[in-house]
Amino acid sequence: MRYLTLLLLLAVTLRAAEPVDVLVQGAENLEVQEIVAGLRDAKKIQIGRFSFWTGRIGPHRVAVQLTGQALLNCTTSTIIGIEEFSPKLIVNQGTSGAQAPYLTLHDIIVGRGAIDYGNFTTPPKAAGMGSDPLHWTPVPQGLRNLTTGAFETFPHGFAGDPAALAVALRTRNPMGRVFAGIIGSAHEVNLEMDRVRWSHQTFGMDVEEMESGHVAAIAHAYGIRYIAFRVVSDAPYEGVPFYALAARATGLFTVNFLENLPPLPATP
Amino acid sequence: MKSPTLLSILLFATTALRAEPADVLLAAATDTELQPLIAQLGSPHTETRAAWQFWTGTLDGKKVVLTRTEGDPLNAVAATTLAIRRYSPRLIITFGTARPHDPALHAGDIVVSGKFAAFDGIVSRVTPLDGGVASATWYRLPHLLATAGEKETPAYSFPADSAALAAAKSLQSAHGKVIPGVLGSANQVNLEADRIAWLHQTWGTSCEDGESAHVAGCAQLLGVPVVGLRVIQSADGKPDAAAEKIAGETARQLLEAIK
Repeated sequence: MRYLTLLLLLAVTLRAAEPVDVLVQGAENLEVQEIVAGLRDAKKIQIGRFSFWTGRIGPHRVAVQLTGQALLNCTTSTIIGIEEFSPKLIVNQGTSGAQAPYLTLHDIIVGRGAIDYGNFTTPPKAAGMGSDPLHWTPVPQGLRNLTTGAFETFPHGFAGDPAALAVALRTRNPMGRVFAGIIGSAHEVNLEMDRVRWSHQTFGMDVEEMESGHVAAIAHAYGIRYIAFRVVSDAPYEGVPFYALAARATGLFTVNFLENLPPLPATP
Repeated sequence: MKSPTLLSILLFATTALRAEPADVLLAAATDTELQPLIAQLGSPHTETRAAWQFWTGTLDGKKVVLTRTEGDPLNAVAATTLAIRRYSPRLIITFGTARPHDPALHAGDIVVSGKFAAFDGIVSRVTPLDGGVASATWYRLPHLLATAGEKETPAYSFPADSAALAAAKSLQSAHGKVIPGVLGSANQVNLEADRIAWLHQTWGTSCEDGESAHVAGCAQLLGVPVVGLRVIQSADGKPDAAAEKIAGETARQLLEAIK
């Protein structure tokens, strides 16, 4: 029993596997299901609370990761995924809510940018003066540059990797259209159309979800290439409520993307 | 899997990848809070990883590691995760300043973590275009903690370690009262009195800062006990160096009080 406890502790702390080319993330089971099914030589690895499946898709060694939803889970699990698997590219993919009227169910946004849009400072207001979210001032995500010591902020979020973006825009979505766009992340489900419109106008957001902007920041901190894909699973302009199975589209799209993606060069 | 040889190999591999375990991880947002403690470290050593920095050494006979959270959830959770993996602390102390939500609190009071609430989760009501935005009608969205077996566990708050909390409650301060409460965090600076009252009522928060409850949530995900303390600053939202200095001093007192 004592050995077993020690071994369990070691399992959390030791590097679990060989490095991979691509770390592919989804926040929920339905978001990783199609990709796990697409793995050759699949092997499941459990690290603490987090599940990974390693194998091959196309020419790539891949680790598929169930990150859990939103900043708390995805930040913790992304750090673990990077430290364990040393990926050359991170693909964060899943479902999202449309923030613009041109999008409909099963369309996929490929992130030319990903931004954390949930941070703000409110103007001071006295008791009885109410709350006015459309006049809150956004606070951009920052990261410490340990070379210069400066805390650098990213008011436009983080750009997607240009080469991965180009491949993704040539990849087939079997269930809808594909557009380049801006993906916004916060621990929020916004169903007030005035705030949806505000997010689109303020940040250029095409879709909202809960992880990609956070993972983008971590990838930037590590200097790892990054791209995000989000399928529209709810379209409030059209009154389409959340449809969880839309996750199949981005899962299948991600498998197609990995098959199209040329072998990645070794990282320096 | 119970072979002593295999165990020896695993232990050797662990030693190579991990630093010597620490007793306590001390996490705070600013250099003003951290530097007085870093300056007192015995056998000091600094390590970095990506955008995050760690200072190790001894304080009051304990092996400690300190990290700077930058005062926002992402940096705080990233730094905490890295520190837990590398230094395996037995306890985390998250400390710093906070703006009051509870009208009974005054500048200089110290709130210790009865529990933590990361109050950034919202679901708004379905409202058509030109129907307005009404933050006081938003629902709380819990944190869905990743759980082994590909499951999720909803959490509206995170617990503090009971023994460390008892030590925190026993602290004395010349600057104000020491009060157990709910440490709230989000990457928000709320200065609308009506919204502050709504947060206090809806989430039960005593005060708000940028990271404490997210550190606690990360600690829960990774199975490490946590305790927090926050010195109440002036409510105008501006940085308060005097309160930050008191926070560092109080964290040092708490470290001494913990057995």
